[in-house]
Amino acid sequence: MIRHLVRRLALGLVTLVSISFLIYGLIRAIPGTPLTVVVSQTDPSRRLNPADLERMKAAYGLDKPWHQAYFVWLGNVARGDLGRSISRKAPVAQLIGERVGPTLALSAGSLLLTWLLSIPLGLYAAARSGRPDERAIGLVLYMLYSVPTFVAALALQVTFSIWAEGTPWELPLFGMTSGRAHATTAAWLGDVARHAILPLFCLTYVSLAWYSRFINTNLQEVLRQDYIRTARAKGCGPLRVLVHHAFRNTLIPLVTLLGLSLPALLGGSVIIEQIFTWPGMGRLFFESLRERDYPTIMGLTLMFSVLTLAGQLLADILYAWVDPRVSVE
Amino acid sequence: MERPPQAEPVGVARPAAGFWAEAWHRFRRMPLAMTALAFVGFLAAVAILAPAIAGTKPVICRYKGRLYAPCLAYYHRDWEPVIFATDKFRGEYPRNLAEKDPASWAVWPLVFQDPYRAVRADEWPGRPANPARDAGRPSRRNLFGTNQSGVDVFAKMVHGTLVALLVGFVSMGIAASIGIAVGALAGYFGGWVDAVVSRTTEVVMCVPTLVLILALLAIVEKPTIWKMMAVLGLTGWTGISRLMRAEFLRLKSAEFVAAAGAVGAGPGRIILRHILPNALAPVMVPITFGIAAAILTESGLSFLGFGQPPPAASWGSLLNDARSNLRMWWLVAFPGTAIFLTVLAFNLVGEGLQKATDPRLREARK
Repeated sequence: MIRHLVRRLALGLVTLVSISFLIYGLIRAIPGTPLTVVVSQTDPSRRLNPADLERMKAAYGLDKPWHQAYFVWLGNVARGDLGRSISRKAPVAQLIGERVGPTLALSAGSLLLTWLLSIPLGLYAAARSGRPDERAIGLVLYMLYSVPTFVAALALQVTFSIWAEGTPWELPLFGMTSGRAHATTAAWLGDVARHAILPLFCLTYVSLAWYSRFINTNLQEVLRQDYIRTARAKGCGPLRVLVHHAFRNTLIPLVTLLGLSLPALLGGSVIIEQIFTWPGMGRLFFESLRERDYPTIMGLTLMFSVLTLAGQLLADILYAWVDPRVSVE
Repeated sequence: MERPPQAEPVGVARPAAGFWAEAWHRFRRMPLAMTALAFVGFLAAVAILAPAIAGTKPVICRYKGRLYAPCLAYYHRDWEPVIFATDKFRGEYPRNLAEKDPASWAVWPLVFQDPYRAVRADEWPGRPANPARDAGRPSRRNLFGTNQSGVDVFAKMVHGTLVALLVGFVSMGIAASIGIAVGALAGYFGGWVDAVVSRTTEVVMCVPTLVLILALLAIVEKPTIWKMMAVLGLTGWTGISRLMRAEFLRLKSAEFVAAAGAVGAGPGRIILRHILPNALAPVMVPITFGIAAAILTESGLSFLGFGQPPPAASWGSLLNDARSNLRMWWLVAFPGTAIFLTVLAFNLVGEGLQKATDPRLREARK
């Protein structure tokens, strides 16, 4: 067990170094540097003179070839320093820390909603398998699954912010707060909640469709097992068979899903955060890529990759933990 | 056992052919999957016939005693007959044809609208110019309305169909080729080949796809749909490769592979002729889902503004236009529905394929 974990961690470390090397090479190959892109965007007359540019390049370590700069970065990371953002003039760790909250608010909310809704939906679908109402639900969920989030987001914005303008149904178009000062924390929370409704809905519907289908499929498989027939034969009611005998066994694959959803939990969604200008991780990534802010991109990529690997490991460990037939090895 | 040995190859070849025929037989009995397949066929027809459905260049015309097909210019700019450039038509066919050769005639596209520019006043005799800014609601002339610069949305969508389908098929074609080749080699040879492939797959899988795609697109600077396809293909092969590796691992110890090896077949022949045909069915399903995903990603990237620059006709870029003015609901409704239906159709086809080819599900049905 311990040996296996050590092996996995060592392999994960190798993967991490390869990923960061690959991404570092890629982003340094993108035309434009953080110094030229940001300055030329703000004001062409304020463009740096060549001497200043060289000085700043040296200050940020951009004068070195990328493979050398990569190892400088790697060394700093090993010492726990993610570096300073070039365009935002702040430590990357601090930037990430500021953005984690908003992203977590959306993703944790969406995950919670998904679980609360998809488990009863999946159970219901399995109980009424093959009946017209189950087929209708299944079809609707399947169609929801095919609606691109950005289309849904735009459609919701048109409906709730443009058409419903002036009615009680009106919801804010974008942002996390309306920018006004709030008298109490409760008022502030209410404001954030109103802003979060649309993005939360967009993040939830796809995973809801996916999860409830997943639960339904797993339940169908379990319901064909012999021990279910035995339970029925001894006279168990259909509800008890479904919840007590069948559902508990479908929890095993569900638990692994929990591990795999770890990166999405903190990584955020680039597209949704971009549409609703939600100040989260996805938006930070999008902006830093546009600003060619190498330290921030690297910090975020490293975080995403660590989370992905940790999620996989967590899924395996959870799997072995809930299912005695499986061992981590 | 007593069968004559020469009967063996026939016996091996027949079930392989029968597998797909049987799968097709099962697929045909699924109404939803068949409807979806028909819709994909409809999309393909729209994509190929786009210049005949919406355009401002005649499908066929007779000019100065000869027949021309100026509509080919929509497929490739150089395919426009040279005579119209030397006669200074400047893209305005109806008036110029009548003025420069009164005896000429032309067969026009069903809808006289251009996907790349707004139709000007009197370009078609007696017709007003396309409404610009936010005035272009859907009307008789502009079925799906116009965008801010007055370009007809219907024409853009019809011509964008080709882009969407090409992106889906070409990028998945690239991804499938890489995934199948890499997965087959890793699964068959094992050892260090497998180790290298598995590590590489893991690295590509752990990088968030959008990070990789956005970085690659930023590197190519001016993205055309072809570069976009290459990027999507280069990033989307990992799932297929994993599945293929597993299939090869499973099949390489099968008896028929040992038999082929005993008869003297080399690794190339065993991989291509014996294992690959048997391993192909399970990857067809992720490939179909991958087409849907690629179409989705392309429109998402165009929506974010990372697609082909403006005059290009892509469904996602129409949605991008909508972002700057959400009052123009038609810029959301029509392209959004098109993307949704297309993705749904490919997903349903994939689902049907899965049901038709997966032996486990087949037995469960009974």
